[in-house]
Amino acid sequence: MSPFHIAIAGNPNSGKTTIFNALTGARQRVGNWPGVTVERKEGTMDHFGDKFTVIDLPGTYSLASYSIEEKVARQFLFEEKPHVVVNVIDASNLNRNLYLTTQLIEAGTPLVIALNMMDMADEKGLKIDTKTLGTLLGAPVIPIVGRTKEGLEELKKAIHSVANQSAEIRDIHIPYPQEIEEEIETVSKTLNTLSADADRPRWKTTRLLSRDETTTKKLQQIDGGESLLESIERSIKRIESIYGDSISAVITHARYGFIQGAIRECVTETITTPRDYSREIDKLLTNRWLGLPVFAMMMWLMFKLTYDIGGYPMDWIDSGVVWLMEFFSGILPQSMFASLLVDGVIGGVGSIAVFLPNIFILFFIIAIFEDSGYMARVAFIMDRIMHTIGLHGKAFIPMIMGFGCNVPAIMGTRILETKRDRILTILLNPFMSCSARFPVYVLVTGAFFPQYAATVIFGLYAFGIVAAIASGKLLSKTVLKGFSKPFVMELPPYQRPTLRSILLHTWERGFVFIQKMGTVILVGSIIIWALGYFPREVELDRDYTLEKEKIFIKFTERSDQINLLFEHSIDKGKRQHFSEMVPFKESAKYSVLIEQRDSLLTNLKLEQETELVEIRYEEMAETMENKWIGKIGKFIEPTIAPLGFSWREGIALVTGFVAKEVVVSTYGVLFGVGEGVEEKNSGVINRLRQSGMSPLIAFGFLIFTLLYTPCLATVAAIKRETASWMYAILSVVYSFSLAWLLAFIIFQTGSLF
Amino acid sequence: MWGKKKDHRLKRQLSETNQNKQRLSQLDSGDKARIVEIGGSEQFRIRLIEMGVLVNDIVEMDKLAPLQDPIEFIVKGYHLSLRRKDADKIAIEIL
Repeated sequence: MSPFHIAIAGNPNSGKTTIFNALTGARQRVGNWPGVTVERKEGTMDHFGDKFTVIDLPGTYSLASYSIEEKVARQFLFEEKPHVVVNVIDASNLNRNLYLTTQLIEAGTPLVIALNMMDMADEKGLKIDTKTLGTLLGAPVIPIVGRTKEGLEELKKAIHSVANQSAEIRDIHIPYPQEIEEEIETVSKTLNTLSADADRPRWKTTRLLSRDETTTKKLQQIDGGESLLESIERSIKRIESIYGDSISAVITHARYGFIQGAIRECVTETITTPRDYSREIDKLLTNRWLGLPVFAMMMWLMFKLTYDIGGYPMDWIDSGVVWLMEFFSGILPQSMFASLLVDGVIGGVGSIAVFLPNIFILFFIIAIFEDSGYMARVAFIMDRIMHTIGLHGKAFIPMIMGFGCNVPAIMGTRILETKRDRILTILLNPFMSCSARFPVYVLVTGAFFPQYAATVIFGLYAFGIVAAIASGKLLSKTVLKGFSKPFVMELPPYQRPTLRSILLHTWERGFVFIQKMGTVILVGSIIIWALGYFPREVELDRDYTLEKEKIFIKFTERSDQINLLFEHSIDKGKRQHFSEMVPFKESAKYSVLIEQRDSLLTNLKLEQETELVEIRYEEMAETMENKWIGKIGKFIEPTIAPLGFSWREGIALVTGFVAKEVVVSTYGVLFGVGEGVEEKNSGVINRLRQSGMSPLIAFGFLIFTLLYTPCLATVAAIKRETASWMYAILSVVYSFSLAWLLAFIIFQTGSLF
Repeated sequence: MWGKKKDHRLKRQLSETNQNKQRLSQLDSGDKARIVEIGGSEQFRIRLIEMGVLVNDIVEMDKLAPLQDPIEFIVKGYHLSLRRKDADKIAIEIL
């Protein structure tokens, strides 16, 4: 038979995910809910031979569909009609948690209530009569401690029996004031006569009375629905005037009345004053004076760990990639396929793969922040600052993550609750200088501002932040107007996170990055490779082979001359050597001569090498100029000429679109400078100086690199996370225009002086 | 639309009612208060109610964020943070 469907519903921080993990083990899949970017987790569970599909609904305080999460949860409950809904409740905070339960009861879903965190309730001196509570709520109530899995078997049993309809389910009515009860009666009758779906009349009526959009729309589509709506509208006015309050408030208060009644009957509270550990921790972590420095330290530690620990596996991956490249170019005969595999695929994907350890470590730390409850404190501390650019305090984390890599940072915006906040954070994120831009900064500042390198680089980072703030203000006043949601945020108690759940979190997010490498980055690398590989035959103006041969001949002649000269000198010396005691070959004179000769030859060799490198560089540059990639560079040259950039910068920036650090390797290729990072960098630095770039242009180029079009992987991440090409295109166009404009201003005003 | 005089009078009236009612944002650390009225947008009010913040509930002001905003409160045994301008919309009676 087909498996049962179970949905897990509950407040944020109620331990929902812990229970989901406990029920399903590692058998889970993570995806997105269709059309929105709320994480959807699905797992499987077996019990007594029955198969269950378990879906973790987003954490919500209500089903009123004010937020995306609420909409998603509600739509799933009503449209997929799960066989069982497990409502996870924080037993130490019954009052608030039961509010969602009253809605679930009204919505008529078959419920099992998992009373989680019983240990915390005990500590607080709360004794809960679960039997009576179950009777009052009309559903089995199972006490459980999610973290230690205490009570898990009972929960499974209860789910099983509700799914097989062998459990006793009572139909519970939450009592409302008389006027609302009468309205429920009327609506229920009218719906019946309209031969419409008259299920869950209490839920529907309360939703209609609250002017709920979805429910109202559905009713409008039915014949006679309009007149019912009109009569409901009249009742709303009447009831609101009786109570002097909005009808949603009246309904909500009635539900809380029911909850308070239930609590009075089932909970006995012994007065204890348990130590509020969270509050004590917060005395430090959100302290008025220390809160910010401690947070800054946490951020610093996060980066330190990310780059220090990540550095080792990064080196391993790097040498692994080099080894693979050497291995394949060794066993494969020179061919297009070999070049595609080695330079395109392995080299291209490899240059991004080195960031994998960093990304996983970053996600690991972020998961600790989230699972422990520190993330809410970050929002609390940073809200004041982020609010000035129209964002929620939590948005600070993805912004900071952007300094590492924009891709995970954009994925990290999932912690934000509203779509507007997410999109705004995503659009601003590329202005945070990611680590891939660092090598470019180092190269260009090394070439043109060696004395002020650190200051210039720091200034670039700071300027990125300024650009983000200014853009935030601009975007939140134009494209992303809309109001930001009221900041009503729970600061949950701190919890020791379990390694399992952190690892799961890390893996879920990191895996998305791996997928990206296998798709977008792979394709992008192949395209760039092809642009530099074709056309195979390029016509060069100069005959480089001949020139190289000429150099070779010239130097061979010169070294021959030297050798000849010294042979003469040695002969002469031998003839003038009169000592019988010491043979000429052991005399001081002889060794001086030999030394002189060798040093002359070495210098000659070096001179030859330099000239050959020069030729090779010119050959490579001219070859590149004639490949497609060079043609593109030439083609776009007019558009970047007003910025002072040449076709070389054009190519570097075009290839930098795959990944920004590619700018450096592109220069390496363009200047035909050899292998080895040290040697390569200094070589490129020399070439850059000779290439006609001025410090002014270099400065414009740095600003341009900082701001322009995010890399391919980032654009793909933006498309994926906003579920729309529109924002990806907006980001590309906006950042490119901004970069162009600023570089233009820099070059043009700078040229005046 | 309104005459300046009327506008002025209205403003004074408003400020008088505001002065009469204490606001949640005025509490000092450790103060306890009873909620008298929750104002603001419908969305804000429902959000608060859904999170268990009701009229007549007792609220304790825990502390200010390092940058003075938002403010942390304790309601029904859990910690909740509100921005100052939102806390302004909640009328209270200091206990």
